[in-house]
Amino acid sequence: MTGRIKSFLSNVLAVAYKEAVVMRHDKAFLGMVLAQPVMMLLLFGFALTNEPRNVPWVVLDRSQTAVSRRFLEDVFVTGYFEKARTVSSYEEGRTRLGRGEAIAFVVVPEDFAREALRGRPEVQLLLDGSDPLTSARVSGYIGQVASTFDPADGRGAARLARVAAPEVGVAGAPLEMRQRFEFNPTLRDRDFFLAALAGMLLTNLCLSASSLGLVGERENGTYEQMLALPTSPLEIVLGKLLPHAGVAYLVLTFATLLSGIVFGIWPKGSWLALYLVTLPFVLASLAIGVFVSALARTTAQAVFITVFFILPSFVLSGTMFPYQLMPDGVRQIGGLLPLRWYQIALRRIIERGAGVREVAIPLLALSAIFLVLLTAVRRLVKPRLG
Amino acid sequence: MNLRRLWTLLVREARATWRNAFTMTILVAVPLAALMVFGFVLSTEVKKLRLGVHDASGTASSRRLVAELAAKGTFVPRSFATPGSLDHALMEGEISAAIVIPPDFDRRLREAAAGGAPAELQVLYDGGETVLAGNSEAFLRTLALSTVAELSTGARAQTMGGPAAPLRVSPPAAAPPVSGGVSVVSRALFNPKLDGSRFMVSGTFGFVLSFLTALITAVSIVSERLSGTFEQLQVTPATSLEILLGKILPLGAVFAVDVVLMVLAAGFLLGVWPEGSIVFFVIVSSFYVLTSLSLGLLISATSATAAEAVQKTVLFSIPLVQLSGFAFPIRNMPTPVRWLAEIFPATHYIRVSRAIYLRGEGPLSLLPELALLTFFTLVLVAVALRSIEGRA
Repeated sequence: MTGRIKSFLSNVLAVAYKEAVVMRHDKAFLGMVLAQPVMMLLLFGFALTNEPRNVPWVVLDRSQTAVSRRFLEDVFVTGYFEKARTVSSYEEGRTRLGRGEAIAFVVVPEDFAREALRGRPEVQLLLDGSDPLTSARVSGYIGQVASTFDPADGRGAARLARVAAPEVGVAGAPLEMRQRFEFNPTLRDRDFFLAALAGMLLTNLCLSASSLGLVGERENGTYEQMLALPTSPLEIVLGKLLPHAGVAYLVLTFATLLSGIVFGIWPKGSWLALYLVTLPFVLASLAIGVFVSALARTTAQAVFITVFFILPSFVLSGTMFPYQLMPDGVRQIGGLLPLRWYQIALRRIIERGAGVREVAIPLLALSAIFLVLLTAVRRLVKPRLG
Repeated sequence: MNLRRLWTLLVREARATWRNAFTMTILVAVPLAALMVFGFVLSTEVKKLRLGVHDASGTASSRRLVAELAAKGTFVPRSFATPGSLDHALMEGEISAAIVIPPDFDRRLREAAAGGAPAELQVLYDGGETVLAGNSEAFLRTLALSTVAELSTGARAQTMGGPAAPLRVSPPAAAPPVSGGVSVVSRALFNPKLDGSRFMVSGTFGFVLSFLTALITAVSIVSERLSGTFEQLQVTPATSLEILLGKILPLGAVFAVDVVLMVLAAGFLLGVWPEGSIVFFVIVSSFYVLTSLSLGLLISATSATAAEAVQKTVLFSIPLVQLSGFAFPIRNMPTPVRWLAEIFPATHYIRVSRAIYLRGEGPLSLLPELALLTFFTLVLVAVALRSIEGRA
């Protein structure tokens, strides 16, 4: 029995060694491995964010009083808005919304100042709902300014910084809410996306590496040559995947260090947990790649299938949009993806400072997914000639 | 250019494509699947969000507050014995928000009603999920403020019908004489429920027509060249231009059909129909397909193998798709990136498609964007045709 295990391991290692040597000379592959983290880091670090900026808005100030101007100024200094454009009629404001020239349209009624004295001022806010994320946030910002606005005295009101106000409530209101956003006090999207960066990179890497590697081998006919060796198909597949697991860890380390050095986003939790939870994820992703290789007949087909597996999995896993808000059914389908659990674990470790114990559930889920896939893969890699 | 020869080639290509099960599956399944996936995922409506509660007060009013938060299914409260366990649950992602009700909540509330200092409530959000935290903040604030306003004035009839819509930000004004706060009566036009599917569906056209079209075009031309049939065709009287047109025009036709298919699928399955003219939308989209076909042609010209073509397309398309405003508004990007985004045809197509789908704009108000789109398409087609001539 030990002899069999020994020969199994030595066979796997032999194939892995051969594969690693091949990989070392594949300049295109190495280039991709290094270029991709940099590209994604730049995209998500600098360019892509849901946080509204330069929001165009129009204003119809029918009150034209110091109080109304101070209110509008308070909205502007939140920093999310462009300089407001004044419109002369309600219709004009609506038309501008309709043409997409403005996201928000604030109407201050004539009796604003008078009502302010009586303590019941009101403004009307019309939003372009076509981009829901932006309008929900813009409405939130304006609502927050409004709820802290003190018509009697401007200096007393809490001026809103670029951050959601820590305290909402005004003198005389029955409730004062002390709010805090834990882990990411300014709700910066960059932290949210870069925490899951490794998940995106490793999905790309593992899936394409294993599917392309195996299909390429079959296309070249070298797979059959290997079958002629005293190695079993499972040994060949495992041997081929092993070096990729190594590369995955390199990419993980590279990406994590890079986002730490460039953006100061270091894992708040334990590196051990990070490395631990990566293992079943990488293995499961590689196993999915083996599946793809079984479905595809040519390399081009393999890439096709890979690409069209990766895209929905980015979306459904909650890497891009919060999975908590997805409708039932869609959310559960996403739960079958390894990336769902990996991104949960990543965000816990990197953003919230979790250790091994806190990522136990994702760890178990990933291991379970991997074991199911492994059983299936063992059946799939039975020798097929021709 | 001989039209009869071109026709023969077109028929041949159409038949070949029709028989290729893999390509056909991709051509039909991918657009529809993309529509479904993207149509469902973006939601701003907060519901069934897990809320940790540490109620040190344990009085009727604190229980009422928690019950109001749980009503309408917005939050699912769970009790925690200590404030410390709340922090841990937040870290584990077990709850997305937490409130701490202090022991003197009830007394302070009565004092506040009598003109004293306001009662305090501590709220913690999981900032790790930025979108979720941002959305639930507005909900929770509105719910808590309106409930407390009600409590402190003795059950006063709720006139607004509660904050069922995410935008009813009308906090303290629901309560009588408060010396501060402006109530905001807000309404979202074009999409009153802030439903994400309309936004995503209209963008998915841009995604499919930019990415899939370029990909399939590049691969099919490179494969033809690899299998040697391209050279066989070249020894026939057909010119290279005819051969390539014969290859990509049927593909273009398939994508035009895809557009119609997607419009119908979005309408019947997701209930999302364009606000503007469907005919206008299909015409603009079919025209845009030409851009992507040319892009595919250009990629194929520089790739030696099919796999290389695919990888190039993917590598090229990721920033293109991400920066085109499909998922992230271009407005939010830094200025140089915004300029960069303007030179992508996909940016302009997505803008036009959203304008038609979401706001029902017509050809007249979209004239500048359409002109830019035409310009880009003509340039790309010219460059692609030249690259063909060069190869012949």
